[in-house]
Amino acid sequence: MKVLARKDLPDVLKNWSDSYDVFAPSMKETGDVIFDRFDADTFTLEYGKPSLPQKSEFLPQSEVIFELKKGEYREVMAGSGKMLFGMRACDVMGMRQAGSFMKRDVTDPYYKSKEEGILKVVMACSGPQNETCFCTTVGSGPFAEAGFDLQFYDLGDEFLVEAESERGKQLIADGFFGEIDAAEAGTKIEEFKVHASKAIKEVPALKEAMERLRDGSVSEKVWDYFGRKCIVCGGCAFVCPTCTCFTVSDFQTQPGEGLRVRSWDACLFGGFTREASGHNPRGTQALRLKRRHEHKLLYYNETDVLEGLCGCVGCGRCSDYCPVHIGTLEVVKAIAED
Amino acid sequence: MGNNSGNAYQPRPVSIIRTLPQINEHRLFQLKLEDGGSWEDFGHQPGQFVEVSIFGKGEAPISISSPPTRLDALEICVRRTGRLTNALFDMEKGSHLHIRGPYGRGFPVEILKGHKVLLIAGGLGLAPLRSLLLYLLDKRDKFDEIILMYGTNNPDNVLFKYELLGFFDRDDIKYLYSVDRDEEGIWKQYVGVVTGLFDQAELSPHDTYAVLCGPPVMYKFVLERLLSLGFPKDHIFMSLERMMKCGIGKCGHCAIGDKYCCTDGPVFPFTEIEKIKEAI
Ligand SMILES: Cc1cc2nc3c(=O)[nH]c(=O)nc-3n(C[C@H](O)[C@H](O)[C@H](O)COP(=O)(O)OP(=O)(O)OC[C@H]3O[C@@H](n4cnc5c(N)ncnc54)[C@H](O)[C@@H]3O)c2cc1C
Ligand code: SF4
Ligand code: SF4
Ligand code: FES
Repeated sequence: MKVLARKDLPDVLKNWSDSYDVFAPSMKETGDVIFDRFDADTFTLEYGKPSLPQKSEFLPQSEVIFELKKGEYREVMAGSGKMLFGMRACDVMGMRQAGSFMKRDVTDPYYKSKEEGILKVVMACSGPQNETCFCTTVGSGPFAEAGFDLQFYDLGDEFLVEAESERGKQLIADGFFGEIDAAEAGTKIEEFKVHASKAIKEVPALKEAMERLRDGSVSEKVWDYFGRKCIVCGGCAFVCPTCTCFTVSDFQTQPGEGLRVRSWDACLFGGFTREASGHNPRGTQALRLKRRHEHKLLYYNETDVLEGLCGCVGCGRCSDYCPVHIGTLEVVKAIAED
Repeated sequence: MGNNSGNAYQPRPVSIIRTLPQINEHRLFQLKLEDGGSWEDFGHQPGQFVEVSIFGKGEAPISISSPPTRLDALEICVRRTGRLTNALFDMEKGSHLHIRGPYGRGFPVEILKGHKVLLIAGGLGLAPLRSLLLYLLDKRDKFDEIILMYGTNNPDNVLFKYELLGFFDRDDIKYLYSVDRDEEGIWKQYVGVVTGLFDQAELSPHDTYAVLCGPPVMYKFVLERLLSLGFPKDHIFMSLERMMKCGIGKCGHCAIGDKYCCTDGPVFPFTEIEKIKEAI
């Protein structure tokens, strides 16, 4: 454990930028905060919950996987030398769960090559970032337990900095980081954790909903209701840190040459399961919404959920962004009340 | 995976040895590996599938129609439906394309050994079932009685017609077939849906395994029939179809409840899927 004065953070990030492509929260002119290349002028710690998880660093919205040339498929493999500074604990858990799926049985080489190269620096949350956070219910936050290189605890004038990996230890070996008595650090962190966890609302409906899905007692009316409201934008899946479904398409760029590209896809779309014959085993929007939520809360067996509860890591983004209020929070509430 | 590149998505080059027209819009393609590999090392099992790539057109899952007992060529039987299959139909002897695989869990040949096997196919469902059928016939002494029930919508749509006609002369396989409709009145066999064929066969459910492959509507009726005849649930195996993109359990398209059709299937024992509402 080390300690860093708050005022030194921009200099530290600047130093790290010499060796890594540092991505950190950046305040844009429009008032939105996004993860962007570190810039001392726009860098901010007032970023709450980033609007998107860092999923696209591991599974880009769209990526070329093969170049088609001279009758061959030539692998296009991008590594990553990025540092992500300021990840939230729920997103770290989301990344770990998604990784366990992408690397189970057969390894997805594109996902793995990016994930391995990225340095993950977490900023532990001192409380909920907004009213939709429910990390404590699903066991993903407000601080990360594993899967990061460094974790920062914001104590006001200073940060306590915890290293999880060898790479992390080396990062905090320089002069900016001071030593701190282990017992003292332990007490402060314990206090921080207890306080932060207490500040975040538990959502008992989630466990009830999981229970009801397991015993098959959820009425189809719940899904019909949401199915009628959904406008099929796919947003809930695109902002979700644990959604990894993709499609693959070929493009011809000129005669004999082209690209094979994979891009995000979502179980909310009718075409996702429509077969060539026209038959669609998930033929209604109600069935598709049921699938999405069953996958998060019932059928997550193919994913190692690690210390988490289920395939949802409680970031609340689906509730933040669904234009017609069909987030996991709304759905579990409807199931529990059904 | 029979793929040395380490990248599970890497397609391997193959060429077309021969194309054999089947019925309207269906063709059988015989393929040869062009990267020095052999079909023996490919290691396919009856009921598995490959992902077929055509330059710039995409990739599609296609069942392997030939058994591992016949390794001169890998055979695929394809129906023309869209972008990739259209491009395939424009190809001829010597044309180059790519495949990767073999993928999925095939038919349970070890379980079938020593038992009677009832194969029930509808339409293009015969394409994957043929790999099992020919396997059973090539290792005939390992299996008890073999019955094939095959239904198509009309007499013009019988796949592998000449191969099937040959079965009438054999006494080690019983072949029953049906057509849904016969408007011209040329069909000499049973007219009606495939379940009607059950009345023509003497079945002993407890030492018979039923293996199904056909369009979604067929399953419901055939299953009802099998169960009412007293087939134990663990004697029923079925090959399911789903939209597939990756074939290796990553893209999510083929999910059926807590299973993935591409890796947990496409062949499932009925006992594994009977409780999953969206399965059938
Ligand atoms: C395990 C498995 C095994 C299979 N085995 C076989 C097999 O042995 N033989 C076989 O023939 N098939 C098999 N299939 C089905 C096969 O994968 C599909 O037929 C194939 O993917 C079609 O690909 P395509 O690119 O030709 O069609 P696509 O272009 O993807 O077209 C599919 C459908 O969409 C329609 N369509 C195409 N373009 C458009 C458009 N622009 N607008 C609107 N609609 C459009 C087409 O009319 C068609 O109905 C199998 C599938 C699975 C999952
Ligand atoms: S389901 Fe919703 S709350 Fe759960 S991880 Fe995905 S976006 Fe976040
Ligand atoms: S975000 Fe809401 S409207 Fe959009 S697909 Fe998801 S549930 Fe439907
Ligand atoms: S085809 Fe991609 S998960 Fe099954």
